[in-house]
Amino acid sequence: MTTILKNHHGFFVFLIRSFFIIICISLLVFRIGTSFAAVIKIGEINPLSGRFAKNGIEIHQGIEVAIAEVNAKGGIGGATLKLVTRDDQSRPDVTISRAEELCSWEKVAALTGGYVDSLVGPIAAVSQRYKTPYVASASLQKELAAQKNPYFFRVSRLQGFVEPLCEFITKRFKGRRLAVLYAATPGSTELAQDLKRCLKNRGLTVRLMEKFRPGTPDFTPLIAKLAGMKIDVIVSGGFTPDHLLFIRQLKENKITPKAYIGPFGIAYESFISALGNDADYLYSTCAWNPGITTPGTEKASASFVNDFQKTFHRQPNTTNMHGYTSARVIIAAMQKVLDNRRALNGENIRQALSKLDVALPMEHLSFDPNGDPINYRHVIVQIQQGKLVVVYPPDRASGRDIYPMPTWEQRN
Amino acid sequence: MWSTIVVSSLSLGSFYTLVALGFALIFGVTRNFNLAHGELVVLSGYVSYWLWKIWAFPFLLTFPAAILISLVICLGLERLFAHLYAPLELNSIVLSFGVAVVIQNSMLFFFSGDYRLIRIPVLSRGFHLSGFYISYTQMTLLGSSLIILFLLYILMYRTYLGKAMRATIQDKDAAALAGINVSAMGTLAFCIGAVLIGLAGPLYGCIHYLYPSSGQEATLVAVTITIFAGVGRLSGIILAGWILGLAESFTVVLLGVSWREMVSAVLLLTLLYFRPHGILGHGER
Repeated sequence: MTTILKNHHGFFVFLIRSFFIIICISLLVFRIGTSFAAVIKIGEINPLSGRFAKNGIEIHQGIEVAIAEVNAKGGIGGATLKLVTRDDQSRPDVTISRAEELCSWEKVAALTGGYVDSLVGPIAAVSQRYKTPYVASASLQKELAAQKNPYFFRVSRLQGFVEPLCEFITKRFKGRRLAVLYAATPGSTELAQDLKRCLKNRGLTVRLMEKFRPGTPDFTPLIAKLAGMKIDVIVSGGFTPDHLLFIRQLKENKITPKAYIGPFGIAYESFISALGNDADYLYSTCAWNPGITTPGTEKASASFVNDFQKTFHRQPNTTNMHGYTSARVIIAAMQKVLDNRRALNGENIRQALSKLDVALPMEHLSFDPNGDPINYRHVIVQIQQGKLVVVYPPDRASGRDIYPMPTWEQRN
Repeated sequence: MWSTIVVSSLSLGSFYTLVALGFALIFGVTRNFNLAHGELVVLSGYVSYWLWKIWAFPFLLTFPAAILISLVICLGLERLFAHLYAPLELNSIVLSFGVAVVIQNSMLFFFSGDYRLIRIPVLSRGFHLSGFYISYTQMTLLGSSLIILFLLYILMYRTYLGKAMRATIQDKDAAALAGINVSAMGTLAFCIGAVLIGLAGPLYGCIHYLYPSSGQEATLVAVTITIFAGVGRLSGIILAGWILGLAESFTVVLLGVSWREMVSAVLLLTLLYFRPHGILGHGER
């Protein structure tokens, strides 16, 4: 072996040199290729696996539709949009590494996606460090906006739930015995506290405030407690699985409150399908649904529904629309930067976002100085015969609500 | 109200028992810490849901299919565990964690991320008994856990096979010296565990909800109850389940829902301090 190496020393040196040159040329070609390929990268981080997978996948689908829609029209400024997606596995630590990877290695122009504040918060922090604008698809916690991160924007905000809920409860359930239950998450806790404060200011007293862990396996003792206190109206800040179990156990125990309001996780086709007739008469809030859109955006809404159905063969829901809206906002800001013949960098996109004013199906979008959407506001809906009926505000109502809800015995 | 709470506590405890039994048996006999237990429960629930919802199978007829699927996977798992070296508990945690992730993501792929409920109308009815209301769901949970435990008791204490399994639980090496085929006992434990998982899964979908990652909760329940009862002490499982159910329910009513997990944790820690071998254990400290 040593003899071979000695005899062919020159040949091996030539081989190593050639290999090195080939590698250098390949890297150079690759860099040039990527620079001139006219592709704009948008980074997306969502929980595509783990406990928030359902919501993460739904947001991802909405984003995909927005990107495909723009690319079908030739992209923006002659460039094609490329979505670079990463799964945060519903874990904040993974979220940070994915965001770092997208900003430093992939060098995306902007970031979007994110479900629940515990996963949105880390992305926002990384986006500030890399000066890469981030438009969160689903975030509520007030503290996140209060951090004055100039690169952080979101398409939803807590007051969009609290204000319509507070107005509706005051008008419809004044004098009733109220209980507010909430999940031990930042968004749900803030919702409950703000709602209680708002109701108090309007002269309503909340008889019971109870916090529970999301995914609690049994609500029966709490239901018995609520029945013992003769609570008329239950407002629950839990999520889809909490509502499913709560309603199921209300029925099993033959206890019927006069009204049940779940701001999160009820106004969904999948929820109604899972609970069947038992979902009837439940109240919820909704930012958008195929039949519920911001006045004046009916055509855009129908176009989104059409595109979505073609791709995913089912009706989109409000979470899909949150993803779509966040991606559309970034695209609109990028378009504005390119129209003004400015470089497409983080700072210019950020400036464009802060001055943005665009009418989208879910909301007329413009941001306040903290990156919160000014016009994000839900409507109150009630499930009637398996359909969502808008019952508040009056100018957008598509029907009247049914109160009190019939008892379980009356329904059978 | 109090009678409702007592009944609901006992049925919650029975639910915990059903979820934990398979885990406790497999761990007791083989010392394999199966972190994929909850995922297997949820998977058999999905099998039942699919047969019931898509092919309109009567709910009771979905149990054999759920058991069959559970059996196939558990036997595969047993083969995987058989290749592990000491420390067995630690290595089995790592291995089963990987299996849990694979099963979870497979469920997400095949069954989607939607929440699924098995809705059996008769189970949401009930009857009044001496002034308190008891639903058929609660009756089913109480009844099924007691029947399953009774059958397990017969198997473990009235048959030669059960005697051999108990010997393996108590001391694997001594059992092997006495001529018991320890490896076969492990396979048998996995088989019985699979049957228990196959029974728990459809009931899980019936009274809880199915979601690809909800298995983590089930695993946590199984681990807690097994520690509470004492490793290898099947008779203590229902008692542990009931005590935990009662503690949780009364905490909700007296202190509030937010205290529930805290009280359970304190209860478990106290028990581990004073009775490290479990609630019915009587080993040396």
